[in-house]
Amino acid sequence: MIKKLSGARIVIEALIQENVKVIFGYPGGAVLPIYDELFKQNKIRHILVRHEQAAVHAAEGYARSTGKVGVVLVTSGPGATNTVTGLTDAMMDSVPVVCISGQVPTHMIGNDAFQEADIVGITRPCTKHNYLVKEISKLAESIHSAFHIAKNGRPGPVLVDIPKDIQTFETKYRGKKYTKSFAFYKPKTKPSLDTIVKFVNLLEKSKKPIFYVGGGVINSGSRASLYLKKLLKITGFPCTQTLMGLGATPTSDDQFIGMLGMHGTYEANLSMNKSDLMICIGARFDDRITGKVSGFSPKSKKVHLDIDASSFNKSVNVDLLIQGDLSKILEMTLKYIENKRISFSKENISAWWIQINKWRAKNCLNYKNSRSIIKPQYALQRLDFLTKHLDPFITTEVGQHQMWAAQFLTFNKPRHWMTSGGLGTMGYGLPAAMGVQIAHPKDLVIDVAGEASILMNIQEMSTIKQYRLPVKIFILNNHYMGMVRQWQELLHGNRLSESYMDSLPDFVKLAESFGATGLRVNKPGEMDDLITEMIKIKGPVICDVVVDPKENCFPMIPSGSTHDQMLLGPNDKLEGEISEEGMVLV
Amino acid sequence: MTDSHSKHILSIMVDNEPGVLARIVGLFSGRGYNIESLSVSEVDSDRFLSRVTVVTSGTKNIIDQIKAQVRKLIPVHNLIDITELKSFIGKELILMKLDIKQKTVLNIYKHIKNIGAKILFEDKTVIIIEFSGTPTEISSLIKKMKVYNIVELTRSGLVSMALGKDYIRR
Repeated sequence: MIKKLSGARIVIEALIQENVKVIFGYPGGAVLPIYDELFKQNKIRHILVRHEQAAVHAAEGYARSTGKVGVVLVTSGPGATNTVTGLTDAMMDSVPVVCISGQVPTHMIGNDAFQEADIVGITRPCTKHNYLVKEISKLAESIHSAFHIAKNGRPGPVLVDIPKDIQTFETKYRGKKYTKSFAFYKPKTKPSLDTIVKFVNLLEKSKKPIFYVGGGVINSGSRASLYLKKLLKITGFPCTQTLMGLGATPTSDDQFIGMLGMHGTYEANLSMNKSDLMICIGARFDDRITGKVSGFSPKSKKVHLDIDASSFNKSVNVDLLIQGDLSKILEMTLKYIENKRISFSKENISAWWIQINKWRAKNCLNYKNSRSIIKPQYALQRLDFLTKHLDPFITTEVGQHQMWAAQFLTFNKPRHWMTSGGLGTMGYGLPAAMGVQIAHPKDLVIDVAGEASILMNIQEMSTIKQYRLPVKIFILNNHYMGMVRQWQELLHGNRLSESYMDSLPDFVKLAESFGATGLRVNKPGEMDDLITEMIKIKGPVICDVVVDPKENCFPMIPSGSTHDQMLLGPNDKLEGEISEEGMVLV
Repeated sequence: MTDSHSKHILSIMVDNEPGVLARIVGLFSGRGYNIESLSVSEVDSDRFLSRVTVVTSGTKNIIDQIKAQVRKLIPVHNLIDITELKSFIGKELILMKLDIKQKTVLNIYKHIKNIGAKILFEDKTVIIIEFSGTPTEISSLIKKMKVYNIVELTRSGLVSMALGKDYIRR
């Protein structure tokens, strides 16, 4: 006979059935029964964060670096509301996360009880789906479908809100296999063959093609990356990647022409602008990519491969839509090319490559280096050079340092680059790095940070200390919210309203107070030694890299402009005033 | 992108579970879409399915986007754009309470009969009439009855169905 289990126990059992090894959380009144069950077992490891937002970012880092679902456990009220930024971040960047929150007992719901918040109402728009479990009989089903929904189709966060009385009620649980109807959600994954035929036809005819690759390829799994690599090789086409797509195929590859978009390379953006065939794979024509939509790649035919139908024709109209799992679409495409013995003549695109190489020769990421002051670009170039052989996992915060990291670091493997793209969450990088490090305890994990962003979740140094996580924090310290300042210089008459970072902590002492090593560097000549020492140290390190406070991030497409209106450096001036339309853009 | 706005009637089959309407309505408000009319009711009590009818308007791109976004909601089983089918009917229901204390209302009964409305309730002071029809018919009824003293009225959202063989699958 099957024994009856408490709701709290069922939660733990269901997590074990979902093969969960780690959860990130913070206890509180409304989840005490679940924490009690956690205490009694040793299959699941709990990582105690210092703020619930960090729990979600850590779960995101864990999920993005492994491909598994990240799991969060928080209490009701403030515990749950603190996860909202993290859940929104996971929603925007399609990260599979399951967040379990405690809730006041069912009979108290709606009474403004202590630590009550309508978290299902609050998170409805920032989760892929959510559940309020009002009956113990629905508990197991809700948890298993949460995992199913989070990882299938376009991934995303799912929240399961469990009232405290449900955690103590008892019922029978026979395991996932016997839990009915949790897998009703079945997104379309297989494309139709005739769209594949049309797709290959377009590939054959194009003289100026470009692959525009996004994070969807990484989400689809390592096979998608492999197939895409093959397709790139067969066609010889140039490839650009979005901020989310970096590493989908190696960025050291010769066909890779840099990231595109607002701070993308000259060659990538001009290739997008002048192409006759754009192949968008798992990206979503975000405004950071397109610039002014009416002038976005005006002459190209556009193909869009994606699993999410709502990404089609959202901001840019495309000519051919192929809905499905990217690895399936790419596999079918390769098979079709092989079966029909189609070969792609390099001559067809040779003039295009000559043009692209001319754009490349502009060397748009060039900057004026200095012997007396560390340029942030230089610091990252050295970091890349000295750590590349270790295949480090890189996370970032948000701002100039993030864009420079995207521009100057090499990403040769998928799942090694974790950054907050869609939401642009300052404070993402440190907790995300913790999640990555938990999943990859032996690997080098570096959070490339700014001195402003890092302070947004600096409390996590305590978590890092507790679990002895050897995370390396590489702060490019320019004493400004650099990206805010850059926009103020460019668009607001150099009035630097509230963007100076006054009263910063001494990051070396801060590191030491948490039992970590603090290193500071001021001179370019000492950069290499710092990085070498940082790698050598076994524990966590904060590097305070004091960089040029005035440096700005180029190339840049000012908001409201098109891909061929780039600013390449500080001496490039805006042509006339930014349009009013552009001024209101973020 | 085409810029011409057009009206669309969307019929949506959903799980009848708490919060499902909030998901649909929240999607519309959160993404800045318009709801001109809305009606919801359970249509299958064995499988707990509700049918939602939303009247919205927008350019072709916006309508396509609305449909794709609604279809993404987990409790949504099916969505059809009734306006895109060959032919369909759409009806609303109106209840209207009229003041009949004054003598000028003597021919009100004739009027109601002509229109085809039903009298649901009457006493010495008021009558309540019921009428169903297309939105235009309902609006024209309200206009006509304005010569009398309308105490209050309420009208439902549109419910709609394809003519012929087409139907929404469960």
